[in-house]
Amino acid sequence: MEHTYQYAWIIPFLPLPVTISIGLGLLLVPTATKNIRRMWAFPSVLLLSIAMFFSVNLSIQQINGSLIYQYLWSWTINNDFSLEFGYFIDPLTSIMLILITTVGIMVLIYSDNYMSHDQGYLRFFAYMSFSNASMLGLVTSSNLIQIYIFWELVGMCSYLLIGFWFTRPIAASACQKAFVTNRVGDFGLLLGILGFYWITGSFEFRDLFETFNKLIHNNEVNFLFATLCAFLLFLGAVAKSAQFPLHIWLPDAMEGPTPISALIHAATMVAAGIFLVARLLPLFTSIPYIMNLISLIGVITLLLGATLALAQRDIKRSLAYSTMSQLGYMMLALGLGSYRAALFHLITHAYSKALLFLGSGSIIHSMEPLVGYSPDKSQNMVFMGGLTRYVPITRTTFLLGTLSLCGIPPLACFWSKDEILSESWLYSPIFAVIACFTAGLTAFYMFRVYLLTFEGYLHVNFQNYSGAQNNSFYSISLWGKEVPKAINKNLLFSTTMNNNESVYFFPKNTYQFDGNVKNQMRYFTTRFLKKYTSMYPHESDNTMLFPLLILVVFTLFVGFIGIAFGQGETDLDLLSKWLAPSKNLLHPNSDYSIDWYEFLTNASFSVSIAFFGIFVASIFYGSAYSSFKNLDLINSFIKIGPKRTFLDKIVNIIYNWSYNRGYIDFFYTRVVIRSIRGLAKLTHFFDRCIIDGITNSVGVISFFAGEVIKYLVGGGRISSYLFLYLSFVLIFLLICFLFLSL
Amino acid sequence: MSYFPWLTIIVVFPIFAGSSIFFLPHRGNKVVRWYTIGICLLELLITTYAFCYHFQLDDPLIQLEEDFKWINIFDFHWRLGIDGLSIGPILLTGFITTLATLAAWPVTRDSRLFHFLMLAMYSGQIGSFSSRDLLLFFIMWELELIPVYLLLSMWGGKKRLYSATKFILYTAGGSIFLLIGVLGMGLYGSNEPTLNFETLANQSYPVALEIILYFGFLIAYAVKSPIIPLHTWLPDTHGEAHYSTCMLLAGILLKMGAYGLIRINMEFLSHAHSIFSPWLVIVGTIQIIYAASTSLGQRNLKKRIAYSSISHMGFTIIGIGSITNTGLNGAILQLLSHGFIGAALFFLGGTSCDRIRLVYLDEMGGISIPMPKIFTMFSSFSMASLALPGMSGFVAESVVFFGIITSPKYLLIPKILITFVMAIGMILTPIYSLSMSRQMFYGYKLFNLPNSFFVDSGPRELFISICIFFPVIAIGLYPDLVISLSVDKVQAILSNYYDR
Repeated sequence: MEHTYQYAWIIPFLPLPVTISIGLGLLLVPTATKNIRRMWAFPSVLLLSIAMFFSVNLSIQQINGSLIYQYLWSWTINNDFSLEFGYFIDPLTSIMLILITTVGIMVLIYSDNYMSHDQGYLRFFAYMSFSNASMLGLVTSSNLIQIYIFWELVGMCSYLLIGFWFTRPIAASACQKAFVTNRVGDFGLLLGILGFYWITGSFEFRDLFETFNKLIHNNEVNFLFATLCAFLLFLGAVAKSAQFPLHIWLPDAMEGPTPISALIHAATMVAAGIFLVARLLPLFTSIPYIMNLISLIGVITLLLGATLALAQRDIKRSLAYSTMSQLGYMMLALGLGSYRAALFHLITHAYSKALLFLGSGSIIHSMEPLVGYSPDKSQNMVFMGGLTRYVPITRTTFLLGTLSLCGIPPLACFWSKDEILSESWLYSPIFAVIACFTAGLTAFYMFRVYLLTFEGYLHVNFQNYSGAQNNSFYSISLWGKEVPKAINKNLLFSTTMNNNESVYFFPKNTYQFDGNVKNQMRYFTTRFLKKYTSMYPHESDNTMLFPLLILVVFTLFVGFIGIAFGQGETDLDLLSKWLAPSKNLLHPNSDYSIDWYEFLTNASFSVSIAFFGIFVASIFYGSAYSSFKNLDLINSFIKIGPKRTFLDKIVNIIYNWSYNRGYIDFFYTRVVIRSIRGLAKLTHFFDRCIIDGITNSVGVISFFAGEVIKYLVGGGRISSYLFLYLSFVLIFLLICFLFLSL
Repeated sequence: MSYFPWLTIIVVFPIFAGSSIFFLPHRGNKVVRWYTIGICLLELLITTYAFCYHFQLDDPLIQLEEDFKWINIFDFHWRLGIDGLSIGPILLTGFITTLATLAAWPVTRDSRLFHFLMLAMYSGQIGSFSSRDLLLFFIMWELELIPVYLLLSMWGGKKRLYSATKFILYTAGGSIFLLIGVLGMGLYGSNEPTLNFETLANQSYPVALEIILYFGFLIAYAVKSPIIPLHTWLPDTHGEAHYSTCMLLAGILLKMGAYGLIRINMEFLSHAHSIFSPWLVIVGTIQIIYAASTSLGQRNLKKRIAYSSISHMGFTIIGIGSITNTGLNGAILQLLSHGFIGAALFFLGGTSCDRIRLVYLDEMGGISIPMPKIFTMFSSFSMASLALPGMSGFVAESVVFFGIITSPKYLLIPKILITFVMAIGMILTPIYSLSMSRQMFYGYKLFNLPNSFFVDSGPRELFISICIFFPVIAIGLYPDLVISLSVDKVQAILSNYYDR
């Protein structure tokens, strides 16, 4: 079936017509386009499902035939260099294609309901289809320039979607933060691409790998320079996949609508970094330092993400940190050279995390009528609790997702995480210990989220707890149509100003129990309660539950593609079969076979760690815990025992560390932002006062010189001009005379 | 092929048709506007027709050549001709001037004079892009200064006189050096003054004289282009001018400097250029960073856009300095691409400033809800200006990057440093352009102005921005469209350098 390969170029273009037609429609005939707005969801889902059929077909052929296909068109022809466009299909591509299209379809169906009341419904679908298109383009690209192009395009989509609710100042700064942070990565990526072009003279992956390995083999390349270039390439992946120094944008990106967090910021776009490293792994493996760096960054990120997720109050943020931590696992696996484990975890994590995010969206949707439409309240786990009674289906799916992420067999993430853990034991015990410890932490924080949300009692009515300082601002309806007159304008403006001033909004510790806030809270709650008569959250619509259930099916069964059911080397599991050609590229003669005994010991160890984490979480946050008190970690320790002060201190430190995002954002605000602002001020001053000052002063001096001459010479009388003229002539003659006489 | 003076008609037609504006009956501004737009469109059509049917792309030589003797005493000819280098800027001029005329719809005060000046500028710009005689080039160069001065000083903002004076002093100061260069070049050597481009191209000079001449021309172009530190007229001028004037300034006028740099300095003074090119590259790199970081510190919206265009011109200078095929093509591409993007940004910024009656960014905010179309277009163009792939800026900048990487002239370490610093500019660009659009559009604000109903852009304004958006996308998707115009000429120019 060569056809499917031949027509594979159509895959990235499939979702584009929706974007183009919505965009043109909104610009040229807005009313007509808006009238049929719900109709637009249909073509976008349809086109994406066509793409899915294509990619399923491709993957079946990949599993059977395992052939790598590449096709190129020339894009610009110059005498010196030519750029080519094309597509490249190999196992990695087909895996990513299936992942993007399946999760994409689920999220599109889901968001039809989720966004149905939003004024930006059409815009949302346009952005969404565009981001799907560029993501599909990214995974099918055949050379580095094409990767860079789509890399930037997905970055732009992410920017647009984070800033989707652009009236929120926090969303505005969050999207800028995401774009700029990603741009730092793109900076590295571009320089890396240029560097490797300079070394090997090619952008095509296979040519590049071959030439580079040959050069390395013959020692013809400056090793330092090659390492630098590889590091710069890796920087791109670091930014996109939210790895340690550049992870700051991911939690803020949760300002976007929840379907976006599920699709872009959990399943697909953030996996692009992993994809890139996996794609370029043949390049990186020849430079051992870079492999060490990759695994180091992976370990730091997975630990950091897990610790930061410990005390988040916002449900989406804590899921975001968990995403970061899981991406760290994948990066670690890649750094260990275990291509298969990383991809396996990528697949399983994508489905589980998409499930969790969509579940949290369903929760938010059901909480919104009760607490108000602001992310500070509707996503705040403090107000949740005891939702089991009200949203049973969401609860079941969320529980399954949580268990999967914790690594409980037989759910998807167990298999892949276990593989990564066992690989890391082989590599370095320190990394393995950290990874195992983090597996426990994962179980802890995921169950913390689950228990706070679904167990206990509903906390909506305990409003003496203030989630944030500027909640008054958010009680404005999102699109600013119905501005409640009761809000006094001063308050409104002051909050706006505050948010505008700090580009990277940094939440201060918001434990305030002063009466003022309390009063405001009471005021607003009464307003909302008047508006919405229902006192209890409702289960979401079927359109939202359907994708959840499908994703549950995926979460349950996707793990089995990586398990070998039979013994022996001939009977490989599906994933290994799938990845066979790329494996040959990497390790020509290594066979993957599992020893069941070893597997069982490892598995029982990791499962017991996970259970320990769950157990600790249930001690802290379980149903025994009285929900009438404050929800702090700290306060729950009061009951525990005599060593209270010491434990208190430790827990306090951990809590503050986690709540303040490890002080990293603080550091960036202090150092980077300030230095850039200082530089801007300095150059502005330099430009104004020195460069412009010189020209201005030349003007002023010549003006004054003219005035002075005018004054000295006198008021323009002919006699004085004559006098001056004659006297200068006389002096001149005198000098001449003197010279002549000499 | 039957001979027909296409270029003379193209150059002379706008100014003659423009001067007949004063004889039109006094029937309000509408007549004048439609008349001017009609002239512009007709001119654009004639240009396109002439270029389509009488211009062979694969020929690097001068085409459509015309030569009339004008002043006999010093061998001054009316000599016109185009090649692959000038065809792009001429088409850009036609396109942008037509749209700027359309954008100048709200100008009602002295609209006759205004539109006449627009047309006069049209002639001057096309004349300087197509002249093949050194003195004629100088005259055309000076010719379009006067309309700009008048447009600035009569239809500007509050500080218009200051900025107009600054503009005229700067550019006149630069023109002195240009004149010195022109005379030095023309009078050197033989007894008869040689002003013809073709004879000049084969002339060689002693090194010292060549450097002096190069430097003289460079100063004139550095003022126009602008190259730091001679750039301070630009933000002042752009801050005060009416936005249609700004479109012309940013879209075309800035391109003349870089065009002259390629046309005269690279073609005629190749020896000096290869001496000066490292300095050009260094200055260009500094300019990218410097202007980008100065742009961050600006409060005034128009000044911020102005600094961003200074920063973008840095890429052109680097491309010219790289002395490679790729780099020079990239420079020309960046010239055209910035012509579109800069003009569109000034247009959109100007219209939104006029609507909300604020120029300072920190006072703005939250106008995206009343004006969604302007918001959409502005964010698309700021994406284009930060070199998003798929738009022209990305292609141009990456081609310049490849040019500097593949340049055989520089060593490894300087190349790495220059590329590194250029790429830092890539980080700074989104900071200023995105924070600009954030401060203008994002957020929420209650406007308590007396009549705070803002009109979104109407069909005319939407038409202008979409018209500019099309070429931006087209170049971004298929850059050969523009590169194919200039590629042969570029090779011809660079063959001078590779021979030695």
